[in-house]
Amino acid sequence: MKTNLLIIVSLIGVFFSAQSFADLKISGYGSIIAGKTLGTVDDPLNPGQKRDEILTADFYDVGQYTNDLTFNAESIFAVQAVADLGPKLTATVQLVAKGVDNFNPEFDWYYLTYQATSDITIMAGRRNIPMYYFSEFVEVGYAYPWMRPPSNLYWWQVTQFNGVHAMYDFDWGESSNTITVFYGNEYSDDNKEMGYYEVLFGGEESTTVDEYWTNITGVNWVVSGDWFEDITYDLRFVYFQHDLERTRNIVDGDNTLLLTSQTFLGFGGSVDISTFTFLFDWNFVTRDDGLGTEFPTYLLSLVYNHNDFHPYITYSKADHERTKSIPPTEDLEEHYISSIGLRYDFLPKVAFKIQYDRFVDQGDVATVWNYHGDSDTITLGVDFIF
Amino acid sequence: MLHTLNFKRGIAISSLLVSNLIFVSQSIAGVSVIVHPENNSTFSKKIIKKIFLGKSKNFDNGKVILLLSPKTGSSASNEFNKAILKKTASQINAYWSKMIFTGKGTPPQEIESVSEIISAIAENKDAIAFIDADSVTDAVKVVATF
Repeated sequence: MKTNLLIIVSLIGVFFSAQSFADLKISGYGSIIAGKTLGTVDDPLNPGQKRDEILTADFYDVGQYTNDLTFNAESIFAVQAVADLGPKLTATVQLVAKGVDNFNPEFDWYYLTYQATSDITIMAGRRNIPMYYFSEFVEVGYAYPWMRPPSNLYWWQVTQFNGVHAMYDFDWGESSNTITVFYGNEYSDDNKEMGYYEVLFGGEESTTVDEYWTNITGVNWVVSGDWFEDITYDLRFVYFQHDLERTRNIVDGDNTLLLTSQTFLGFGGSVDISTFTFLFDWNFVTRDDGLGTEFPTYLLSLVYNHNDFHPYITYSKADHERTKSIPPTEDLEEHYISSIGLRYDFLPKVAFKIQYDRFVDQGDVATVWNYHGDSDTITLGVDFIF
Repeated sequence: MLHTLNFKRGIAISSLLVSNLIFVSQSIAGVSVIVHPENNSTFSKKIIKKIFLGKSKNFDNGKVILLLSPKTGSSASNEFNKAILKKTASQINAYWSKMIFTGKGTPPQEIESVSEIISAIAENKDAIAFIDADSVTDAVKVVATF
């Protein structure tokens, strides 16, 4: 499996070097993370039975920790190649190998970047959806203090799309600003996360679920700068909507589960005040399904920066409500994670991290919306860039 | 120092003290931001910070900036990170890793030696870099020293 990756990486090298090696930039990132949950829990789906605590650390790829120590839930290795195709045009690819996929590499990112003017950039191709504050670099562990952005917020079945982004950079007062408008589609056949739920709730392994997010259309605005001498900020506002079609492919035909649209509203950011970093992300997702389905989520985190040591605490909360159902209900999915951890930058491009997560499932017991179950998890490992 | 041998002991010691003082004042001379001598753009501490975080991509004169820097871990780099960016080298790397792997920015090109940085600046009207203040030569223009 690793051989596959090496072969493909070398092929990329050969392909690009044949053109002109000087016009190619190779870089990459990775994480080697080990972890396990620490106890057992009453199985919400089989009352009366015990099972291992399970923490889903990566919903999209279904990367999970159980009582058995694993390196596969979150370990990742990615190589990025950026080729200059002309004075204003580059092509970027990212080949990503994940433990959850047995390290079989996939081209997760491939896009063109055209620098139209000094302040307008157009990107076209496959990229992450600029959904939450950390969504676009959620897999670059080196870029943030934690082991991962809290997974109970980053829980969507779709994270990438094929589309177009137009970015406009400008100064406003002393702040630096970028406004991005984006449009795209994602057709996730045999969606991994939905397939996991299918089996979890007693479905057949052979039943696949397709998750289509189309007409993903939105805008985000990033503003960054300084306040006074020792406060720096990077804030991001996002609004987008998309059509959602979820289809269950069963033996007798198809079974449409959802045919609706969703709207995302979010505000997040990072503020450095003296030796502290405050990170937050608030998001509100509404589904136009007649039931008034809403997903309010938020995270708060405080990091203390002492030279190369960055201890932190984080709290993240996700909820699911139906405001227009009869009767309206809040007794659906609901959970929070409180985490404590340490990042230690022991080399300029390598960080050691250790984190403890307490996941508390507050979902409705009668309707089994508490299907995650509580968990205590310890993870440790390194994030690196090259 | 040979000439001090001709002086009395006391004078020799004060001479040593003076040379030590000079040495100290050189080591805290800090880091200088340098551009091509013909670059007449204006620079403040805030503008310099924006430039080296990739947030300002153009000089006042409209030209696209070519960002150069000494190697990570060099004294000039450490001093610049601390004085201007107010971050450790690792925190700067973390910032750039977000930019690089989302395709939103390119970090300064690291140049091995001070003499190479000076000649790169002297030859390129749109380049900017920083070096130890005591390494500055007439070939480049200093726009700020921290």
